Amino acid sequence: MIKNLSHELALPPARDEHTRQEFVSTLRNHVLDKMAASMRRRYEAKIKPDFERAHGRAPVDGEEVHDAMLRDSYFCFYSAARYNAQEMVHQSVIPLVDRNMEALNDRAHKLRESQDVGGTLTLDPRIEVPRSVSSIDVHLSPGSYHSEYADNDASTGALYDHASNVFAFNQMGKNNDDIGHSFSNYIRIAHPNFKPDNILDVGCTVGHNTVPWAQTFPDAHVTGVDIAPALLRYGSARAKSMGRAVDFKQMNSTALDYPDASVDVVFSSMFLHELPLKDIRTYFKEAYRVLKPGGLFLTMELPPNNKMEAYDRFYLDWDCYYNKEPYYKPFRDQDYVELCTDAGFPGSKFFEVVLPRYTYTDETEFTAKAMQPPVFDHRTGRLSEELQWYGFGIWKPA
Amino acid sequence: MSRIPMQHRGKRPRFFEAKGVDELMSMVLELTTEIWVVKKRLYLLERVAGAEGVSLTPEIENYDLSEAEIKDLDDLRHALIAKVIRVTEGEFVPTYKVAESNGQANQNEEAA
Repeated sequence: MIKNLSHELALPPARDEHTRQEFVSTLRNHVLDKMAASMRRRYEAKIKPDFERAHGRAPVDGEEVHDAMLRDSYFCFYSAARYNAQEMVHQSVIPLVDRNMEALNDRAHKLRESQDVGGTLTLDPRIEVPRSVSSIDVHLSPGSYHSEYADNDASTGALYDHASNVFAFNQMGKNNDDIGHSFSNYIRIAHPNFKPDNILDVGCTVGHNTVPWAQTFPDAHVTGVDIAPALLRYGSARAKSMGRAVDFKQMNSTALDYPDASVDVVFSSMFLHELPLKDIRTYFKEAYRVLKPGGLFLTMELPPNNKMEAYDRFYLDWDCYYNKEPYYKPFRDQDYVELCTDAGFPGSKFFEVVLPRYTYTDETEFTAKAMQPPVFDHRTGRLSEELQWYGFGIWKPA
Repeated sequence: MSRIPMQHRGKRPRFFEAKGVDELMSMVLELTTEIWVVKKRLYLLERVAGAEGVSLTPEIENYDLSEAEIKDLDDLRHALIAKVIRVTEGEFVPTYKVAESNGQANQNEEAA
């Protein structure tokens, strides 16, 4: 049973619509847990030994595993099921959002105008959506995340939020916000003397992982930035409906509209793997510039390929090959320390974490596991019932 | 007519060598979804009717459909078939335009 979103912008599906969403969610769960486990067994039992006989060695990277898997019928069924399920995620929410567009936009507008909770929305019509965003229906999402279908439209935000809920099969938090909770609480627990005043979440989409920072650090000024106005309109209304004062600003991550040394935390989650490499490099330099001395650059992402076994590399890179995420593997092929040091950060201040999910874990257990040295295995960064989040951070010298 | 496009831009990958298997896979999954929708609705129907003290089975067997109801079911059946074969429609029939930052682009335009 899929849980509905529990905030005021959640749209009520008709009975059959909900049943369809529930089915797609279960299908994804089945593919990503049960079929994925079978595929791995098949790889170990047949495909890898076949490869070893033919080449005199095991596959060394994800591409070699992928090439070997392409000829395997189980991989084809897994991929076809996963690809179709991904399309069906979007199709299970589009009619719901389309039908409720006027009511949704009206409700979102009223929430944004409400003065009961702080938080502002700042859009900048001069900002152009880059081709890397507008030309690709990322995640097979029709119209991608920048499209608008009405004046002051927030429906793309609703599509993102509701589709994420079907996509996640209850594994990413009650409001798809576990990443924000896990990383903000990790920083609170691991660095009790660090008291950030000014926190940025870059590429925030609907702010689902931004709002938790305002909960974890209630005295801080929290801002979510993104390129897409419709996501920000929805995100601002969503945060207000949850009683959290968060600012939302339209901005390109490659040109952060902040003075030098003015921010304590620059955070992003599931963001870099959607950026061309040149934009990643520019964003890292921008993060270094806007951070105060002693400030933290923190990234939740997919783990780097250089820390993973060949099969796990292949498994995670599926999205790059088949989910319209062309920058995903090029990013994961990078050395994350080098990306940071190239932007001016000192390599000695780099750290990595592999975290259990905060909202699914008792705080004592979360703390114990989060403080362990990171372990990279089949659970790391992989959406499944055993999911563990990966992240890296680096401090700007004080 | 949906204002939000239902199909993403770009070509769908082919996982199977034999012609048509990818499409059949899509059809099977769409069909399974709809079978589940119907199964759940029937389950609920029986429970709701039972809770109201109505035993539905003989009533269903003997029910005479009106002309309007027959038309309604015809439309629903067409919609079900359209959904099951939607993958072939999407492949060959351009159905929508998407707003770009600098104008309009057709769905068949390949990603840059």
